[in-house]
Order: sequence, then structure tokens, then C-alpha cells
Amino acid sequence: MEEHSDLPSRSMDMEVAATALPLNDEEYVYEDARSEECSEVEDADQKYYENRLKDIDNGDQDTYPHKFAVSISVSEFIAKYKSLFNGDHVEDDQVSVAGRIMSKRSSSSKLSFYDLNDSCLKVQVMADLRKSELDKDEFAKLHAYAKRGDIVGVTGFPGKTKRGELSIFPRWFTVLSPCLHMLPSPANNKKQEIWSPGHLRHPQTYVLKDQETRFRQRYLDLMMNNHEIPQIFKTIDNINKYIRRFLSLLDFVEVSTPMLHTIPGGAAARPFVTHHNDLDMKLYMRISPELYLKQLVVGGMDRVYEIGKQFRNESIDMTHNPEFTTCEFYMAYADYNDLMKMTEDLLSGLVKELTGGYRVKYHAKGYDKDPIVIDFTPPYRRIDMIGELEKVANLSIPKDLASEEANKYLVDACRRFGVKCAAPMTTARLLDKLVGHFLEGTCVNPTFIMNHPEIMSPLAKSHRSIKGLTERFELFINQHELCNAYTELNDSVVQRQRFADQLKDRQSGDEEAMALDESFCTALEYGLPPTGGWGIGIDRLAMLLTDSQNIKEVITFPLMKPQAQDAAPEAEDGKV
Amino acid sequence: MEALKVWSLTASPLRQLLRLSSSSTAIYGRRSHHSSLMLRCASAASSSSSSNAATAETPKPSGRNRRAASSSNSTSDREAIRSIRLKKVEELRGQGVEPYAYKWEKSHSANQLQEIYKHLANGEELNDESDRVSIAGRVVARRAFGKLAFLTLRDESGTIQLYCEKERLSDDQFEQLKAFIDIGDILGASGSMKRTEKGELSICVSSFSILTKSLLPLPDKYHGLTDIDKRYRQRYVDMIANPEVADVFRKRAKIVSEIRKTVESSGYLEVETPVLQGAAGGAEARPFVTYHNSLGRDLYLRIATELHLKRMLVGGFEKVYEIGRIFRNEGLSTRHNPEFTTIEMYEAFSDYQSMMDMAELIVTGCAMAVNGKLTLDYQGTEICLERPWRRETMHNLVKEATGIDFSELGEDLGKAKDTVLVALQDVLEHKDKSGIGACSSLGHLLNEVFEVVVEPKLVQPTFVLDYPIEISPLAKPHRGNAGLTERFELFICGREMANAFSELTDPVDQRRRLEEQVRQHNAKRAAAAAETPEGKAKKDDDDDDESYEVTLDEDFLTALEYGMPPASGMGLGIDRLVMLLTNSASIRDVIAFPVLKPSPHIYASGSLKLEDTPPPPPPQVSSVVDDGDDDDQYVDAQVEEVVDHVDGLLNEVREEEGKEEDCALEEGQSNGEILKSSLKKETLDSEDGERREKKKKVQWVDLMGKELAEIREFESRLVY
Repeated sequence: MEEHSDLPSRSMDMEVAATALPLNDEEYVYEDARSEECSEVEDADQKYYENRLKDIDNGDQDTYPHKFAVSISVSEFIAKYKSLFNGDHVEDDQVSVAGRIMSKRSSSSKLSFYDLNDSCLKVQVMADLRKSELDKDEFAKLHAYAKRGDIVGVTGFPGKTKRGELSIFPRWFTVLSPCLHMLPSPANNKKQEIWSPGHLRHPQTYVLKDQETRFRQRYLDLMMNNHEIPQIFKTIDNINKYIRRFLSLLDFVEVSTPMLHTIPGGAAARPFVTHHNDLDMKLYMRISPELYLKQLVVGGMDRVYEIGKQFRNESIDMTHNPEFTTCEFYMAYADYNDLMKMTEDLLSGLVKELTGGYRVKYHAKGYDKDPIVIDFTPPYRRIDMIGELEKVANLSIPKDLASEEANKYLVDACRRFGVKCAAPMTTARLLDKLVGHFLEGTCVNPTFIMNHPEIMSPLAKSHRSIKGLTERFELFINQHELCNAYTELNDSVVQRQRFADQLKDRQSGDEEAMALDESFCTALEYGLPPTGGWGIGIDRLAMLLTDSQNIKEVITFPLMKPQAQDAAPEAEDGKV
Repeated sequence: MEALKVWSLTASPLRQLLRLSSSSTAIYGRRSHHSSLMLRCASAASSSSSSNAATAETPKPSGRNRRAASSSNSTSDREAIRSIRLKKVEELRGQGVEPYAYKWEKSHSANQLQEIYKHLANGEELNDESDRVSIAGRVVARRAFGKLAFLTLRDESGTIQLYCEKERLSDDQFEQLKAFIDIGDILGASGSMKRTEKGELSICVSSFSILTKSLLPLPDKYHGLTDIDKRYRQRYVDMIANPEVADVFRKRAKIVSEIRKTVESSGYLEVETPVLQGAAGGAEARPFVTYHNSLGRDLYLRIATELHLKRMLVGGFEKVYEIGRIFRNEGLSTRHNPEFTTIEMYEAFSDYQSMMDMAELIVTGCAMAVNGKLTLDYQGTEICLERPWRRETMHNLVKEATGIDFSELGEDLGKAKDTVLVALQDVLEHKDKSGIGACSSLGHLLNEVFEVVVEPKLVQPTFVLDYPIEISPLAKPHRGNAGLTERFELFICGREMANAFSELTDPVDQRRRLEEQVRQHNAKRAAAAAETPEGKAKKDDDDDDESYEVTLDEDFLTALEYGMPPASGMGLGIDRLVMLLTNSASIRDVIAFPVLKPSPHIYASGSLKLEDTPPPPPPQVSSVVDDGDDDDQYVDAQVEEVVDHVDGLLNEVREEEGKEEDCALEEGQSNGEILKSSLKKETLDSEDGERREKKKKVQWVDLMGKELAEIREFESRLVY
């Protein structure tokens, strides 16, 4: 890296620029907008902004050109020319590269150095008057105008400096889009390793550390922390691609079902309500696509899936965003045993493809604690919910779970073990709490908790051999539910009965008990073939594979509290 | 065409049924065209199993010369059938058979079998162990004789006949089959392959299992799902009755996957941006509003993905796209559903010219993937997608169509309007004139003239270039022509398919333009508020109501201030593309569950009535063409049960005098005009929901005869 520190100081603009373009890394830290220097920072930025605007107005250049013909990407450029010898110049090759200037060092009005970044790689631009097509004044003016943060297009030839830095020597240099704000300064200029799935992330290396800013202005996060953040979203794209490929090889058809429902069904959650003006009709944002997908199976589409957004009107925390992405599939003539096998194939195959192995490192307890290793090697442990609970907690739960007796027993058990369950203490909720207390903690590596009681699973088919239970499983990884699947209940009479039981829970105050969807029951009466149904939370899967503890890390633009209330940082968010 | 093929395919087993009926009715000395109806409703008519339950309603033992007064969908019938079948469920369980099975291993699909065994000669049977197959599907036709029964099973891929001989089945399975299996049930069967003497490929069943007992009768094809509303509301019934409906959804999946393939091979990354937003921007449309309880704030459902995808460009991604759901709080029509799907894509450093190539690539790629060719028929119009497509500026297109050269009109809006009104006085309708009067700028005027005069004529794919700046708040000014932007829209069949620009990257200009948009919106809103309500009651436009708020997306403007690379972006309506490529007249045919008007009692008691439907004209007479696929001839003599019962319940029937013609009716292709799936629509709708020619009214009524929902739109089809 060639360092030059004699930045020419000329205009007043340049002075302001100097504060923004530090020669020295520690000079200026844009770390916490809520810190003491907050207003100072904002003032400086405002001044910078105004000066930059003036600069643009005074210039005669086309400030926002329409197009720049890129001939080669930064990564292709590096791959193609990295083997040049030090001091080599390939003046016969002409390349056009574009990207953002992430650092600028001017040694004189005749020589400036830039680091040009595409989404994660960088290449040096050595703007030398002698190689340029511009005359002295034009050259000086242009390179005084170009600032850190600007998007530029460069046409020139490749070469390596004497010190071995692969560079582009521009003949033409164009600012394509000026950056009107100061970018956060780099805390260090060390070359950062580019993150890849299955590996640990290193938030301590981030230039932009403040979480609020990272999530609210994701573009800054992508720009400044570019050794990790762009890879996160590429990984999510790869996860979706893999799932699509996996399912399409099994002849599944991707469909889309409505996000606006007249009855919120298919899951137990509080929905968003909206209103259609023209129809003067209340609509709910979907909480699950399940009931519609099953209707398509009734209609004869034997294998369907949907990857899409679900919406739940719940509070925001480390693992919950009001909108999140799931994949659900329904497979006629299959049961939950088939689905467990498919889950193992899908997840292990995905992890293998993304990481090259089955073992994923994960900061389960926070970035400052030792990471755990999650092993995706199939087969996965299977535990029977009630049996395991009785064994681990030494309980003997009454067999008829719908009975008062069972409810009393579980209330008592919860009290004994100090497991808190807020009202209403329905048997389903009590069991859920006990399972959370005794079983989920043991599920670090992928584990199927299976055979849930009927009272907890209104849409699952009764177990073929154990009374009172269903053919259902949930896959837990790192103590969080990732998948939920069952042999689908397709007996409309039983389905109605289950909905009615849910209604009882609703009346006892459980807002999250499911509503009766009569039209769905009617669909069942036309005959749903034996079907296995499966759902996975894509965001949670992405969290595991990107070493993220906060769901906001894997959502491009997570829902944030309105900025006015920003004063109090979100309590749930762990500090990075 | 294709739809018709499927039609005749699925009809064939029923044709056999019909022939049976023809022969059987001969015994009773009467042949009626109604028999087809009854047969269709036919089900396990075992009197033994169902007679008890049948008494639940008021079954009348009745001759077969009567006609069901209403379709089997009428409520009382449905209830009766339901209770009969529920009884069967109970009896089956009593016998230790679970009528809702857990699983079935199938070795083949129907289509695979038809393909693998297509060379099997008539009468040939394969008894090799390796030729044992198992299959599952829905029973769509059924005939039972003394020791022989034929079932037609339909799965996702097609149909196949099950040949069930009493001797080949174990124990009492044959009796079970006769007694308990109804049309509509889902069945798994295994056995060996055989082609009958008459050439019908069949599975010689050695064992079967009832996988799912259906409780409701399938709609008979005669009445079918003629009622549009029900077709959309109970899409699955539509899909069972018309297998080609699901084909549209399969093609849709193929189109979406082809689009993904195309853009991914160009290096695009798919990202997801939020649906719930603090401010809805990126387009001008009324948004849905919702409320987040724990944050205690209103949220808007996105009306475009544009502003967030552009933020990703600012962040350094150079090619991003999103295929996602967009929501607009607008009325319903054949082209509008409140939620719809678009792809929006953005490419850094390029301009709108390259997006035109991309649009061509995507649409032709999808056409090839779905139809295998670049010419297509859309509602009777032939469209040719061969590249290159015409690229012409809006100015030139308007000049070509009207003779008006907008570049010479000068700056005076009033004068320009007069020129337009004079030049087009013969062409314009009243509402167009008022539209022109309302234009607030030359750009709006140009666009208005374009929309009224040119748009409908853009049948073959055409890129319309260089829109006025006033109507393009997110597009970059044209590098050559002041007042214009670098923007294009793609039109096919007079419909906008895509909208693209060289993206505006100047944050100062962007702020100015968005502020202007807000100002204009507020002005319209104020004007609309002042207007009398009647004045705009009947307006059917998108922008009929301006009473929502438009706010600036400050975050987006800040993002632009950090510098967005020069870029081009395009939005393409996937639903409309699917409509085009599947020849679907209405957006509701390509969306599995479209939003419909509320119909609270749709599933409650109350029967469907068709009003103003002409009384059934005399049936068309034609004779059965014996194409020799009738397996029944040789069993004619031993027919002992004729399956004309509706689940053992005989409908209340009405004599239809003097209609004893030889019944050659197939599957409700009965008489005169019937209502059919819009998939086979002949003509283009003139306006949303309005038809030029015959218009009938379909009504949902409750028990009191009160109208529950008015359905204006449906298609009729003449029977051949």
C-alpha cells in the first residue's frame, strides 16, 4: 500500500473534506451517533453536505451521468491480473471498472490514490497525470472534486505498482454519483477476511458498529462492513435457491397464495388488520399460508410449496420481526416419517453445499462468548414429547390430556418446577412451557421433538397408534424451533371438533388459539388426500448459517421503532 | 385448444358411462338426456349401505326418467349426501378400515403409466412382478356390475382406468368397493397392467385402499362450476372439475422460475425488502394501512419495491431483483387484484436501453418455456414475440396516431388542449374530453392523448420511450430532450407489461420531484373533497379516490445522498405476463385465490340461482360415436345396478315432457348456452366485467332470496 500524506490544502471545501478524509485512522470516529459528540458530528456532516452541494453547483461536469459501460468487475479484474509482476504495466489492455471510493490519498495535484470497492472487493486506482488524457488543470480539478464515498467509473490499463499493489492507471476518470455525506471512517485499514457461511462473524472488525445505524441505514452497513454484510444476503439468496432446487427436483410446484385473508388461519398468532376501501372489507395479513396450500392439494396439485412472507402482530425481539419468511410445502401421500427424512436431507445437503461440511460454528451466547458447533450430520435425534418430558421431569401426566385432571396436574407441575405460565393456563400452554423448560434446552444439534398432543396441534392428524397424540414434529436447533411439520389432519369432522376446542381456549382468553375457518373445513369435505405438510422459518435458518443472533441481521430492512423514540435502545437487542 | 383436449380426455370415461346408461335405459324403455346428469352424480349406490342414512332427508324412490331440479350442489342435496357419506365413514371404521389413511406409496403417475405401457396391445395383460404398479388419485367415474367394476382415477398428471374384478380382490374388498366408494373419494390402488379388449389401458386391481373419503359430491359438469364467484371462492372445486385450471398455476410456476433463471444467469441477486413500511412510496397508489400493536404505529403495505431495492444499490450490490407481492387498495377488475406480484430489477451503471433487451429476454424466455414458441393467441388476437420489438417514442406514436406533433405545440397548455380537442373531436368520448381538460401540464396532456388514442392500438409488443418528466417522478431526465425522461413502458395487447427507467440518482432533483408529487396529490385530494360525492361515484379509474396521504420517504432521499450509481430499473407485472402467456382473460384466472367481494353466507344454507338463464332449449341431438373404447359391451347382459343415484339419494325431480331424444350429451355439453370457465373465453372483455353481448346476472342468495353478492362478470360459451 502506498501511503501519501501531503494532502494539498486549497479551498475551504478541501478543508472540510480533510476532516472527512482523514489521513489517520483514529482521527475521526463515527461510532455512536448517540454519543456526546453527536451534535458535533451532525454539524460537521451538515457542513460537509452543504459544501458538497455547492461544489456540484459550481462544477460544469455532468454530475449524474446516465451510464457507464463497465467492461470488467473488480473481482474479475483481480482474478485476471493478480499474477502480474511488481512494476508491470499492461498499457495495451483497456479496462473500465466502476465502484465506490472507500479511501482517497492525494500525494499532489498530479497524483492521487483511490481504493475502489465493488460490493466486497477492492482495487487501487492510481490516478497519475502522466497517464491521463486530461490536461493539468482539468486533472487537478477533477481529483479535487472526487471524494471518498463517491461512485466513480475508471477507464485505464492494469498494472502493479513497484510495491506490488494491483492497480488501475486511469486515462479517464469520471465521478458517476457524488456522495454528499461523510462516510464513517475506517477504524482500521487492515485487510479483512471475507466472511463465508458456516464461519464465525467478527463484528468487532466492523467500521460501522452502531446497530441502530446498521439496521436503519442498511446501505451504510453494506458499504462499510463489506467484508461480511453483503455475504450475509448472498447466503440468504443461496439458501432460497437451494430449497427451490431441492423441491423442484421432487416435482414440487411453487405457488403463491394470498397474503390478505378474510379469516386469519393456519397458525396461532395475532394478525395485522387492514381495510379494503372499495369493498369496505376487513382483511387480515396472513399468519400462515397453510390452509390455502392445502386447498390446492384438495384441488389436485399433489406437491406444492410457497416461499413467502408471513406477518404477525407481535413485539419485536431477537428472534421476531413482524414480517418474516417461511417455506411451506405439502406433499400428498406422504406422512411425517417421510418428512423427517426429507428435513434431514434438505438441511444437511444445504449446509454441505454452503459450507463444505456439516458442522457450523455459531455464537449462541453472544459474540463475546465462545461459539458452539452445530452438527448437521444426519440422522437427527428424535425425542418423543410427552414420553421424554415424563422421563426428564419425572412426571406421570394423565393420559387424557383434554381432561380437567390433566390440567390440574400440569398447573401443579409447573408450580413445583417454578415454570412460569401466564394466564390463561390452558393445558396446551402449560405443556408448551414445560417442554420449553425441560426439553428445548437439550436440543442444540438438530433434534426432532415429535408426537405432540392433539390439544396442541389443531391441524395435525391423530397418531395412528397412540391415542391423544398427533403425528407431528418440530425440529429444534440451538434451542429454537426451526421446522414444524405433520401428517395433515384431513378428516373434516375431527377438524371441526379441533377448531371448536380451540374456540374454547380462545374464550378462556388465549388470543392465539386458532379461528374456525369454515371454508377450509368445507374444502376438507371434498377430500384432502393423505398429506404431509412442512414449514421452515427461513430467517431463523439464515441466522444459524450466518452466525447471527439477532433476526435483524438477516432482514434487509427490519422494522424499527420510529426514530423519535430512539433514545432508549431496544432492550432485547444484544450489543454487538 | 389445449383446454379442450383435456376436456375430451377427462370426458371419455364418462362417455362410457353414458353409453352404459343408453343401453340400460333401453331396459326401461326410455332414454332421456337427463340421464347424463344423474350418472354424473352417481356414486356408490349400494342400497344396503346407504338406505338408512338416505332417510335422513326425503329421498323419493324414483324412476330414472326424471330430472334433478337442481344440481347436486343444492344445499339440501349436499347435506343429505354428506350425512350418507358420514355414515359410510362410520361403517368403515366399524369394519376396522380407516377412511382417512396415513400414507400411500405410489409407484407411478397416471401419465407415466400411459406412456410406459402405450404399446400394450388390446387384451394384453402383464403379470410379471416387475409390472406391478401402484397409483393414487381421485375417483372421477365409476361403474359397478355384478363381479366387475370400472373406476377412473385422476391424479395430477392425467387419468387411468382401474379394472376391478371380484376374483382378483381379496376377501370382501369388492363388496367394499361397491358399497363405500363414491365419486370424489381418493383411492390408492395397486395391481398389474392390462389393456382391455377395447383398448383402454387399465390397472387390474389386486388391492386398493380408501385414502380419503370425500363427503361432498363433485360438481357435475353439466352445471359444473359455471358460477364464476364460486369458481374463485372454492378454487379447489374448480380445479377438480377443470384440470386445466391447475395447468395455469403450473405454467405460472414455470414462468416465475424461468424469470429467476434468466436474471440469475445475468448475475442478479434476489433480495427481500419489507412489505410493512412506515411510508408507502415508489408509486402512486392508495396503500393499505395497518397497525402494529406493540410499536403503536400505523404501517403501510408496500405499493412498490422500488425504493428499498435502490437502497441496496446504494449499499453496493450492482444487480438486484425481487419477485414479490405488491398491495394496492383499489377496486377489483379483470386486471386488478389488491395484491399482485411483480419483479423489480435494478442494474448499476446501465441505462434504460439495456433494460429493453432484458425485457425481451425475459418475455421471450418465458414464452418458450411455457408454450415452446414465440407466437401466441391471446383472446383471439395473434401476438408475435419475435425479437426485436418495436421501439418508438411516445411523441412519435402520438404523432403517428393523431397527426399532432407535441414538440411543435409550444408551451401554452390551453392552446395545446384546444389543438388536441379539435384534432380528435371525432375520436374522443365525453370522459376522454374531461380527462384532457383536467390535464395540468403538457406532459400530462401528451400522456392522456397517448392513453386514450394510442395505448389500445399497441397490440404487438412495443416499447414506448421517453415519457414526459411530469408523470415520471423517479426517472432520470433524458440526456437529449429537455422535458422528457429516459423511461419506457412495454405494451402488449394494449396492456402495460413493464415500466422501466434510467433511474434518477440526483437527490436534489429527486426531492424536488417527490415534493411536487405530494403537492399535486394534495391538490387533487382537496379538489376531490370539494367535489360532490355523486360526481365521482361512478368513476372506475384507479385514481378515483385521493383521500389517502402521500408522504416523502426521507430515508430514501438520504440514501440517494450517499450516492447511488447510475442504474436502470424495471418493474414487470408477473400476473399480466402469466395472463398473456396462458391466454387468460382475467387476472383472477392466474391468481389461485383472488380477493372477492364479501359473501358472508357463502357456505351457509341457501342455494345458488341463475337468474335470467334461458330455459334449457331442446337438447342438441347427435348420436353416440362408437369409437370402440367401450369396455362395457360384453357385460351389458349382466348389468344389475345402474348407477344413477346420487349417493343413493334420489333427487327431487321434475318431469320434463317430450324430451326423450337420444341422449348424446356429454358431460353437460348439453344445450344452448352454458357458462364456462373463462379459460376458454372467446372474446375480449370490453371493459372490466362488462361484456358487449349477452350479459346475465348470477346471484348468490340466502334462504330468504336476499341477494348476498352480486356477480357481474362471467363468460358464456356456446356449445358446439
